Amino acid sequence: MSIMQYNGSAVVAMVGKNCVAIAADKRLGQRALTVDMDFQKVFPVTDRTYVGLPGLATDVKTLSDRFRMRVNLYRHREERVIEPETFANMVSQIMYERRFGPYFVEPVVAGLDKKNKPFICGMDLLGCLNYANDFVVSGTASDNLFGMCESLWEPDLEPEELFETISQCLLNAVDRDAVSGWGAVVHIITPDGVITRDLKCRMD
Amino acid sequence: MFLTRSEYDRGVNTFSPEGRLFQVEYAIEAIKLGTTAIGIRTGEGALLAVEKRITSPLLVADSIEKILEIDGHVACAMSGLTADSRTMIEHARVEALNHTFSYQEPIPVESVTQAVCDLALRFGEGADGQESTMSRPFGVALLIAGVDERGPQLYHTDPSGTFLRYEAKAIGAGSEGAQSALQEQYHRDISLADAEVLALKVLKQVMEEKLSNTNVQLAKVTKEAGYQIYTTDELQAVISRM
Amino acid sequence: MRTATAVAAPIEAHGHNHWSPYVDNGGTTLAIAGEDYVLVASDTRQSDGYAINSRYEPKAFVLSNNAVLGTSGCVADAKRLCEVLEQRAQLYQHKHDRQISTPALARLLSNTMYNRRMLPYYVFPVLAGLDSEGRGAAYAYDAIGSMERVTNSCFGSAETLIQPFLDNQVARNNQRGADPERLLTRQEALKIAIDAFTSATERDIYTGDYLEIFIIDAAGVHKETRELKHD
Repeated sequence: MSIMQYNGSAVVAMVGKNCVAIAADKRLGQRALTVDMDFQKVFPVTDRTYVGLPGLATDVKTLSDRFRMRVNLYRHREERVIEPETFANMVSQIMYERRFGPYFVEPVVAGLDKKNKPFICGMDLLGCLNYANDFVVSGTASDNLFGMCESLWEPDLEPEELFETISQCLLNAVDRDAVSGWGAVVHIITPDGVITRDLKCRMD
Repeated sequence: MFLTRSEYDRGVNTFSPEGRLFQVEYAIEAIKLGTTAIGIRTGEGALLAVEKRITSPLLVADSIEKILEIDGHVACAMSGLTADSRTMIEHARVEALNHTFSYQEPIPVESVTQAVCDLALRFGEGADGQESTMSRPFGVALLIAGVDERGPQLYHTDPSGTFLRYEAKAIGAGSEGAQSALQEQYHRDISLADAEVLALKVLKQVMEEKLSNTNVQLAKVTKEAGYQIYTTDELQAVISRM
Repeated sequence: MRTATAVAAPIEAHGHNHWSPYVDNGGTTLAIAGEDYVLVASDTRQSDGYAINSRYEPKAFVLSNNAVLGTSGCVADAKRLCEVLEQRAQLYQHKHDRQISTPALARLLSNTMYNRRMLPYYVFPVLAGLDSEGRGAAYAYDAIGSMERVTNSCFGSAETLIQPFLDNQVARNNQRGADPERLLTRQEALKIAIDAFTSATERDIYTGDYLEIFIIDAAGVHKETRELKHD
């Protein structure tokens, strides 16, 4: 079993009509043993940019802290809030820095830019960016998420529709993955603000 | 008649010049020494009735078992050298269970009958001179009653391995009289309750002893409940309807 | 003519100079059971690693009793398994003078697979037909014969993509207020099967080319073929 599967995780981000959504499960495990049912994998970067960090939990914590530091530095130096695409490149750079001893995390970035244009992207553990205009998936349930998103997602979803779609995708995907699930969190990022909802799901 | 057979009735695997296997024919004769057994098929289920010869007042009547279960939906009654039937019933039971294991469904009644008859001619030497399990033909005839998706059925098997399907059939010592009585009184839409009475009436005709709830055995196989053997009380209830 | 010079070591396709009797030829099969019908759908791409052997090599087979055996895994094993099963169905017909029922065939398939416990058929079959009451019956197996009657199932290279979708759309998992017992109508099942495969074809490189759909009902087996993406 790869170290990427050690803790278990599922993260998905989706584009809607003038909105984006990012969702993640809450489980933290050590292989088959569940340790925590409320482990944070999605972190706010700005008011309208979120990052999801599925992978090795220790690196999730390290990276979330490093990102926060770098985003704060950016804000102080530039005196403006970082754009999602800029942040994605920053994440990519931080990941590639460890080219030969990588963080075992495959981050997902979702946000609205200053023109309220949705932005999502994923990347591998070396920081190779993968832009998408529909959805990105990551984590141990990524295959399941691909299948779900590919069949449920459609263009121009309104925030509530987007919420239902991403929730169904995540819930049904983690139900078929033994090492992710046990609850989920969904953030819908709209120009008017972020709606955050917790989801209950099967705990087996 | 018996004089002419002297040459060809010793070996079990030698035909006579007239093309007969005397040992098999003798085996069929042996059944005529057995107790009478009757089978009747009705639309509701198949019925088996046998006579028990209580040769001594010290004999425990319950120990005589001439109707046996093969599977939940198939039963059999016997007449003749009943010890031989052990082998056949054992084989039939294994065959029925194997079928259920292989296909998760009850074995068809005809297939159980066929399986039993496959054994009948395995006497004498094997084809390549290998040891055979039996030295002589079976001396027993069976009435196999069962229910499957073709409905209630009754089969008769004899030592030659021939099996035939009957509406009603009698075997054993009183078979001739019983068969003609059945022929007269059986009709296709007979009810199971009437068949119970008919079976006992016919048995009564051919039995030497007075029929009672201890010297006959009755069993039925129905679609609803499968194989059921009658208790003494149930038997008595039928007798009182006669 | 070549001269006898040093010959390079042959490149072993299965790695580590160790031959394996098993090949995964990719592809996906799904089954959805309804009230009076059952549907089997499978793609027709057959591949070996990154090579496509065939764009049209069906992996669902109609058996003589109007049941359909959908397969995935090793094609050689799947074809042999199908032959063996058909042979045994014929033997049953001769022995018992009737067509073998789908539930009986399902158990027979389980036993046939378990008989090879120590060198299994590398096949993950789904068997679909009608049961004795005329209801749609689908049976799913693992490679060593463990069997389960299901209302929906998917095996093969896109199994991880399609199965959660079927859980959601056929079994209605995570749908609040929906009746999980309600079986799909034919049109719904057909639509979901097609959706599942068009979606899976987008992301699974081993699934694609054509989609063969069998619908089995009291009237018999109805087959239709559709095109999937060829890339």
